This record gives sequence, structure tokens and C-alpha cells, in this order.
Amino acid sequence: MAGGSRIGAIVRKDFTAFTRDRFYFFMTILGLVFYVGIYWFLPDTVDETIEVGVHAAGFEALLGGATQREGHGIEVIAFDSADEVEAAVSGEGETTVAIGLSFPDDFVAAVSAGRVTTVTVYVTGNLPPELRATMTGLVREIAFAAAGSDLPVTLLAQEEVILGEDRVGDQVSLQDNMGPLLIFFILMVETFALAGLVASEIQSRTVTAVLITPVRMSEFLTAKSIFGTLMAFSQAVLLALLIGMLGTSPIALLITLLLGALLVTGLGLVAGSSGKDFIGILFWSMLFMIPLMVPAIAALFPGTAAAWVTILPSYGLVEAIVRTTAYGDTLIEILPFLAMLAAWCVVTFAAGLFTLRRKVATL
Amino acid sequence: MSVSNVWQVLRKDLRLGPRSPILLWALVLPIVLTVLIRGVFGGLFESEPRLGIVDLGDSDVTAAALELDGIAVTVYADGDIETLQQDVENNNLDAGLILQPDFDEAVRSGAEPELQLFIGGESLASDRLVIEVASIDLIRGMSGDTPPVTVEVIVLGEAGLDLSLRMLPLVVMYAVAIAGAFVPAMSLVGEKESGTVNAVLVTPTTVHEFMAAKVLFGVVLATLTGVMALLFNSAFGNEPVAVILSILIGALMMAEIGVMLGAWARDANTMFTIFKGGAILIFYPVLFYIWPNLPTWIAQLSPSYYFLQPIFELSVGDRSFADVWVDLAIGLTICVALAPFVYMMGTWLQRRLGTGMVSPAEAKEPGSHKEPAGV
Repeated sequence: MAGGSRIGAIVRKDFTAFTRDRFYFFMTILGLVFYVGIYWFLPDTVDETIEVGVHAAGFEALLGGATQREGHGIEVIAFDSADEVEAAVSGEGETTVAIGLSFPDDFVAAVSAGRVTTVTVYVTGNLPPELRATMTGLVREIAFAAAGSDLPVTLLAQEEVILGEDRVGDQVSLQDNMGPLLIFFILMVETFALAGLVASEIQSRTVTAVLITPVRMSEFLTAKSIFGTLMAFSQAVLLALLIGMLGTSPIALLITLLLGALLVTGLGLVAGSSGKDFIGILFWSMLFMIPLMVPAIAALFPGTAAAWVTILPSYGLVEAIVRTTAYGDTLIEILPFLAMLAAWCVVTFAAGLFTLRRKVATL
Repeated sequence: MSVSNVWQVLRKDLRLGPRSPILLWALVLPIVLTVLIRGVFGGLFESEPRLGIVDLGDSDVTAAALELDGIAVTVYADGDIETLQQDVENNNLDAGLILQPDFDEAVRSGAEPELQLFIGGESLASDRLVIEVASIDLIRGMSGDTPPVTVEVIVLGEAGLDLSLRMLPLVVMYAVAIAGAFVPAMSLVGEKESGTVNAVLVTPTTVHEFMAAKVLFGVVLATLTGVMALLFNSAFGNEPVAVILSILIGALMMAEIGVMLGAWARDANTMFTIFKGGAILIFYPVLFYIWPNLPTWIAQLSPSYYFLQPIFELSVGDRSFADVWVDLAIGLTICVALAPFVYMMGTWLQRRLGTGMVSPAEAKEPGSHKEPAGV
């Protein structure tokens, strides 16, 4: 009981020191505001369509109807003349498009009669090459269809073709992708903050002074761990709340964030005990942060991460956050990742406590 | 102000600087950033549709697909259909094409074989369209069907810049800001913390000479890293002298800002926190190069715009000095305008040192050797 109150006293002392330092307190709030600002600044939708201006002398409606169904990836904007299409692509018209198609007035009649006619495709200079090729291929296919020529292959039914959940119209936006990463970043930054706190206690020998009192080494270490975990966890939860991510699967996310806070606290203890001055702490923190950032960066890319990425300590944390917030996975579904994260928490915490204990013992 | 005293302090910083890991960080960062941008983030912002092919019969479609421009094609040499489908489902590919042994013959004979093109659920609708049209087009080409139309492509306007070039200002900004502002600021804070600034000021060197040396230290380093960043990106343009002049102005601006912050910050931790939180004010113009459609006037509110824009125009836009001199003149004016503030910060620091309000950290960790003063 007495031990508990001593631990509580150290935690309260650290918290008071943190809030009394108005500069750090202000910068912490400012950092949070920046993260929230960045999140809301990012696009919350994914543009999956290619906008095409078309002058097609009477069959625009047909072309539009065929292509504007959901999931076709193309949106047709009709123009009255070839000049208007050209102006739209060159950015001089009222409407601007990156691609324009101009079919001759007798296109359908000519193609039906077997006469070869010319279709003009206008593109902007910075259009990706695959879109240019797609437009020429599309025009050729329209001509084949108008001439009554069948496809050279038989198409499979849509439901046979799509593998996995079809997310057309419901893609994970850049905002959804970055949200988990911002939460991860705020946890990572706490590694540095805790390292700074621990190092300053070592440098100023406050720790020696504290250990002269009835406080035992284990209580001191526990207090530092609790303070570090609380700071990291509370900031991550606050950010998750402010960007509206806690509502998706709150219990799963809270458990993930708590384990994440423990992980970064363990790393902060190692960095804080190892660096002998500010630059030393910075480098130890960076040494941890750079490899730990890899799974976070990998999560921005589509597909599964490389095998070596999955063994990094932050992989379980990033995956659990991403799956909970962006894909709505439940606690049961993210359990394997939480287990990995918990295992790494044990390792980093043990390393952190070991290095800090050793450091304090040498003072 | 004695040039000799300034030189003595600068020489000490240049001599001791290479021992500091932070200097190593400043030198390595532009290289690391370039590699990351070219190798990793470039693909993030401008990703190509990804098509996997399992060819069970040496089809002509496969060879033609490998020639496609703008589509990343992977051929599964072992013919593993299950792996291909798994990769499509896991979003490692946007689509997977399976070509059966007799596919080409079946197409040419008009048998209309099944097109086994599987689409990943998470692929974008636009990527699906690109891959579907490309696949049909390749098969048409192989079948020998003559299209009943001629397609004339007219390109309007200039080609846009590659993303890696649009991110060049970010690399340059990091190179110049870390070496120009952060390193001298940390150096100054380090001198205050270790107490060497007090020792120096016992000599005939004044605090203003001391700060001038720190500014010059930042200018030398930032110019070096800025030039290195551009060389590493092969982006020196047609007028290298004008590019170096632009880097020099940027280096001076950053060094002045860094030294003012270093004079004000009470310790290294505070300095780092300021940089972490406040750097956005000098870094945000780089976003306007990555996304050129954003309104430029917002970027023009930041002082860093007035050296970044000339560097960008000269090194990437193939412009001449005549096109950028106005921005450079504004940048130089900002540097000149900052000089009195640097001087005032020097006076402020001198007053604090004189009144004992700045004192070295009292306790040093036992067993640790004395760090060399400087960075």
C-alpha cells in the first residue's frame, strides 16, 4: 500500500512537472492540433474515375450510359463540337478535362459501312502513358462494337472476376490511411519525450536523490513506466477521439493503443538510459524510430508487407490500428497482431527496465 | 566587429563539428531523403496499375504485355495460378491474367475463349478500366483484327514534371534547414549548456562575433548540403552559379533563424521542441511543388519560398537568372531584415549571460568525459 502511494507520488510529481512547464505543455497541445489539422486537410474520398470530354455527334448519351454505371471508372462529359473538346483539354474552355475524344459526325455510318474513319484523342502533356493507351484502345473497341464485331474473347461474369471484397465506391481514402499512422506517430514521438525525461533525471541525479528516500528502485522504475505509458496512451486516445477513429471499434483500439503505449515506453526507457546527453538521446531514439517507421510506411502501400517487415516490433501495432480503424476489424480478428505486439512489449519493457536499473545502479 | 575573432570561433566549429553525430545526420539526410523519395514515396503518389500474368502456353499476349507503358506487369514464371489469385485478392496486384495453353490459337480461330482476367476487390475502378482495355487491345492485336478506325492522338500543353522532381524542394529544404538552422542552433545551445560560451566571452571575442561565427558556420554547412542535394538529384540546371547564389541566400536565411532560436532556447530539449513544432512555418511551401494546383500565394507568405522557388525554377524549370532575380532579391531583403534581429538577440543573450540567467548544466553525469564545445 505504501509502495503504491510512493509510486503515485512520483507519477504525480512527473505530471506536475510536465504541466508546470508551460512551453512543453503548449508544444504538446500544438503538436496535437497539427496532427488533427493534417488529418482533416487530407482528402476523405478516392477519385476512381477518369473524366473524358466527348464530342460524338449524337451518340454521347449512348456512350455516357454505357460508361457511367458505377464501377466503370470513366465519366463522360458531352461537348457540342471538336473545338470545345480541344479547348477543354487545353484548359481554355469553361470546363476543363485531361482527355478529350472527338468522333467524326459520320462515325457510326462510316464504321458500319466498313469505311475506315479517324477519331481524334486530345490529351494533356502530363497525362500518364497508360491513360493515353487506354483511350486509344477504348476508341478502337467502340469502333469494333459500332461495326458489329464481337469481342475476340468471352468475358466471365462480374462475380467470378472480382477476388476479395469489392470496394469500388468505398475505397480506403488517404485520410483513412493516414489516421492510423498519425496515431502511430504520436506514440513514437512519446519514445523521445520519455527518453528525455529519464535522461534529465539521470543527468540531474534526481533519481539518486529519490532513491535516498524510502522509494525503492522497483517503485521508481514502475512510476516511470506508468507515467510514460499514461502520457503516450492519453495523447493517442485524444488524437483518435479528435479524428473520429475511436468510434469504429473502441475496445479493440483502446487495447491496441495501451499496448502501443507500453511498447514505446519500453523503448523510451532504453533510449533515455543509453544516451548521455540530448544528442545521444536523439540518436538512440532515431535508431529505434527509423526501423519502427517501416511498417507504418509499408501500410500506406497496397498489398501485404514483406516477410521481414512482419518481424519488426511495430508491425503488430500498425496492423492492429489500420485493421481496426480503416477496415472495421473486431477484437477477435486483430488478436494475432495484439499477441505479437504484447510479446514485443514484454521484450522492450524488459530491456528498458534492465538498462535503466543498470544505469541508476552506476550513479 | 573583429573578423579575426569571428574566424577563430568559426575555425573551432569547423574543426570540432565533424565529431558531432548531428552533423553527420545533416549530411546524410539529403541522401536518405532522395533515396526514399525516388524508391519509395514516388510509387505511393503515382502508382501504376499492377497486372500479374500466368502464361501456360507461351502466348504472344505476354510478350506484348511486358512492353506496355505505364502498367507494371509481373509474369509468374512457375505458372502458379493459386499464388496469382492470392496476390490479386490480397491487393498485391490490381488484376491477374491467366492464359491457357491454347489461348492464342483459340482467339485466332474465332473460338472466343474465356478471358480469365481476375480483378482485385481493392483495385481502383480507373485501374480496372486501364487493365481491361489494355488486355482486350493486346488480344485484338494478336488476333489480327484490323480496327475500323484510325486514332490520332494530339498532345496539348507541356508535359508535367515527374514527382521525384516536384519533391526536390523538400530535399533541398531539409538539407538547407537542418544544416543551416538546426546545426548552428544546437551548437549555440550546446555552448550555453556546457558553459564554453562564458569561457569564450572572457576572451576579447564579443557575443556578436560569436553569433556571427555561428551564422557563417550554418551558411557554410547549408551551402555544402544544398549543393550536395542538388548534385545527388542531378538537378543543377543551366546556370549553376545562379543556383549556388540561391542556395547561399537560403543558407543565410536559415542560419540567421537558427542562431536566433539558439540564442533564445534555454536548452537542447527546448530547441528540439521548437524545431519539431515550428518548422512547419518554413517547410510548408514544399507542399505547393508536390501539389502544383494549390494556390501559390499561400506559399509566398513563407520566407523560404524566396529561395526555394529560384532553386526550383533554375534547376528543374530550366529558367535563367533573369526569370528569378525578383524572388532572389526578396529573399536577400529578408536576410538583410533579419540581421538587426540577430544582433538584438545577441545583445539579449549577452545581458542574460552577464546577469547569470544562462548557466551551464550544473551536474554532469559521473564517468562521462567532457564533450568538446561546439556542435
